[in-house]
Amino acid sequence: MADPWLLLAGAAVATLIGFAWLALGMEVHWTQVHGARPAGPTTAATTVPTRRLRLLGAAALAVSLALCLGADHPSMAVLVWLMLLAGSAVAVAMTLSTRPHWLRWCWPARA
Amino acid sequence: MFQSFRLSMAWLHTWFGLVLGFVLMVVFFFGSLSVFDREIDRWALPDSRFAPQPMPSFDRVLKPAFERMQPAKDAVALLDGRVDGPIPERFDTVRRWGAYTTHRDPVVAVFAGYAVPRAKDPDETVFAIHALDPRDGAVLPEGQLRIGSQFFYPLHYSLNLNWKDLGTWIVGFSALMMLAALVSGVVMHRKIFREFFTFRRDKSTQRSALDLHNLTGVVALPFHFFFAFTGLVIFAGIYFPVSHTQLHALHELSEKIEARETGLPHERAGVGAPLASVDAMVAEAQRRWAAKGMAGDVGYIGVEHVGDANAYVSVYRAGTDRVALTGEGIHFKASTGELLREDPPRTAVDSVNEFLTGLHLQHFRHWLLRWLYVLGGLLGCVCIATGFVFFVEKRKRQHAKAGSPGSRMVDALAVTTVTGMLIATTAMLVANRLLSDALPDKGDWEKTVFWSAWALALLHAFARNGAVALGRLSPAWREQCFFAAGGAVAAVVANALTTGDHLGRTLAAGYWPVAGVDLSLLALAAGALLAARRLGRGAPAAAPRPTPAAMAEASNG
Repeated sequence: MADPWLLLAGAAVATLIGFAWLALGMEVHWTQVHGARPAGPTTAATTVPTRRLRLLGAAALAVSLALCLGADHPSMAVLVWLMLLAGSAVAVAMTLSTRPHWLRWCWPARA
Repeated sequence: MFQSFRLSMAWLHTWFGLVLGFVLMVVFFFGSLSVFDREIDRWALPDSRFAPQPMPSFDRVLKPAFERMQPAKDAVALLDGRVDGPIPERFDTVRRWGAYTTHRDPVVAVFAGYAVPRAKDPDETVFAIHALDPRDGAVLPEGQLRIGSQFFYPLHYSLNLNWKDLGTWIVGFSALMMLAALVSGVVMHRKIFREFFTFRRDKSTQRSALDLHNLTGVVALPFHFFFAFTGLVIFAGIYFPVSHTQLHALHELSEKIEARETGLPHERAGVGAPLASVDAMVAEAQRRWAAKGMAGDVGYIGVEHVGDANAYVSVYRAGTDRVALTGEGIHFKASTGELLREDPPRTAVDSVNEFLTGLHLQHFRHWLLRWLYVLGGLLGCVCIATGFVFFVEKRKRQHAKAGSPGSRMVDALAVTTVTGMLIATTAMLVANRLLSDALPDKGDWEKTVFWSAWALALLHAFARNGAVALGRLSPAWREQCFFAAGGAVAAVVANALTTGDHLGRTLAAGYWPVAGVDLSLLALAAGALLAARRLGRGAPAAAPRPTPAAMAEASNG
């Protein structure tokens, strides 16, 4: 069994990235991070990959739950996971409101 | 009465949230501090700044200490009127001894309950309660307040209003209404998912306060819901005291039946008997836990009917490895050490109950989860505080026009509850370090400082909030942020000067209880200064002071 702290750190990173992806899957936050879409016809290069981001985001949150379960007794793992979700959601919201460009790192898009 | 369900929910959320928000703010903040109550105790009692110890030897350390104990004078004084004839000088019939520790406690909590001769209620018991140094069995002096576990923690669930359990009832009612506020908040919120990550800090104060209110309320919704709910479960016995009122006879009968089933005597035999080696019983209990693959730290040792032939010893495990408040108790006949009973696996109902209470009371060993609980509690504080700010921002201009004092009053109370509480807390810690340990009732002085500082913050908030009546921001917010920051830094400095345990030393030694409290105080100071700076930017210092004429004009609309 891997070191529990390593698993928990992984779980925290997974919730952060998961929420970042879920946020990027929303038009308004995508625009905050990547700037407004260029005017003109919508092409594959300019649409927001909403579906993919949402699926990936949900998957990352699930991975995080699995990591929590690997680290602790299930009753405790669920609590750790729920609280990590709360903390990460606030962290992503705060990043969006102060340093939105940081989230480009999570999903680089062609300018 | 209301045009729609949503509007009626909004009414409920606004008014109950406002009135009970003041209570809930206290509950959330001191609940967050209670997560680290034992660590705050270490900070407040320099004598107890050593590493957590396992349960000491009963035969060599605990038993001699128990035998020296007698109930405190103020506990005996409470018996006045409950006894036929004079109150005895000494109490010799010991009903029970108990010793309790956790993986975070350097000192063991010990108590002894004594039967009261000629008491009107035959079950009357008077207690002696001490903190004991497990290394030598010395009891810590009384009169020194363990600020974390004896003041901040009870403040969290009872507001320290003990008269007829009034505080516990107020907190319970607030928790119940908080559940309603959470549900109504979700109903009112039109865009839970669309605005899940939204915080528009550059919009008006009203807008950004509402964003922050929604954000902190929604993301920590499971935490808020479960803690309000489990808090009610823990105190269910107080809120529905059926077993000791209407059903007293049934309760007694059930205890007797339980005693017959478990083989643990319910009554004394009336025949004296010596106590066999309890250490041997503890070793046997640990052997049995190990055989089941469970961690074997002892959390609680109790002796029932001390000195009697029916006496029995119960040994419980410290449930540090899971959420549920488990015990896996093992019981022995005190005079022989013979095994009487091993607690059977819990039923489903017990398991759920123990999970719910354990989730809230957190005796487990998991530092990350502890800090995440603090985060959840502080998110709750932000949610309530921004709720107050939104309430005032939404109404203050109308109130200024109409000359109504409503938003002005609410704002002053909000300042008192949010920043005033921080000032009271830091003032108490400063007092703890500056008052002499030789002061016999030092703890009472610390409490006086706490409540006085809070009362001064209230006066200050009311004295300085004229600006709200003009539709502007009260300068009291900013000024109290400075006071709180000053108090926090002063507490850290006072700790370094009076005990020598400055951060350089505690961090180097890895003594986290004290280093953690110091670092948290510094973080509080930094946060308060940052808030003060931002508040200063919002209301430029160069703004002309309102003249009486302008004020009259404003209040006349």
